[in-house]
Amino acid sequence: MDPKTAKLQQQQKEETVEQTGQHQAAREFASVEEMLREDAAQTEVPPALARRVADSIAREPKPPRSWWQRWFARR
Amino acid sequence: MAKPVEAGSAFAFDEARPKAVPDSTTRPAGDGPPSIGDQPNWQSLGFGAIYEEHSRQIFYLALRFLGDPTQAEDATHDVFLKAYRKLGEFRGDSAMRTWLYRITINHCKNLLQTWHQRHMVNNADDSLWETAVASSESPLRVLEIKELGQRIQKTLDVLPEEYRLLLLLVADQQMSYEEIATLTEQSADAVRGKLHRARKAFVAQFQKFT
Repeated sequence: MDPKTAKLQQQQKEETVEQTGQHQAAREFASVEEMLREDAAQTEVPPALARRVADSIAREPKPPRSWWQRWFARR
Repeated sequence: MAKPVEAGSAFAFDEARPKAVPDSTTRPAGDGPPSIGDQPNWQSLGFGAIYEEHSRQIFYLALRFLGDPTQAEDATHDVFLKAYRKLGEFRGDSAMRTWLYRITINHCKNLLQTWHQRHMVNNADDSLWETAVASSESPLRVLEIKELGQRIQKTLDVLPEEYRLLLLLVADQQMSYEEIATLTEQSADAVRGKLHRARKAFVAQFQKFT
């Protein structure tokens, strides 16, 4: 193979690999909403928060039941 | 328009996202903390299930609306406590999510108002955003998914409060335009119009943080 051709082929191959790498890393979103949904899905609620809420609720008196809870209780 | 809440996805943190910090102040001493399910009142009225279903969206709204992970955590705690206290007032004429959002919005707005009064900060003139023009070339492209949270927060921080709120609410697929309109006390048409401008403003600002 002509050394010039081989060099050109190698260069093209490297460029393709580089471009593919960029495509893998980049992420495009069709809309602002889609982007925010992705962000929300990646955002973790602090694990300690559930216990903190539960502890606070444990110190609360039982709240009055809503109409639908009273309704279900009658059935 | 309702769509089930996504659950169990992989989480990635960056600087804009809160780090999980063990809450030693509320943990009793001993061999180990009792499980949450043992807590009185937690499972009664199905409140544990309500928390499980809605905490992610409530925390996310508070986080991106307030822009501060610690404040967002405190706000989420306070919102669920208020919800528990007011559970008897929940009439069921709106979805539980909408009801919780209402409490969250009121709570966060009060916090922001107090903060703004203390720091004498004003949002930029809202009319500036009316003319925001975004380039059409790959406007919402991020090179690293890790940077996403930081860039979104930076962008939301400079948007008018109303735009920020509308974008966060419409991103929740459980929320219809009508529900958002009721929550924000305006017509659905007004919501649509403002959302159009809010999206443009977001994209224009987002590109600046490339």
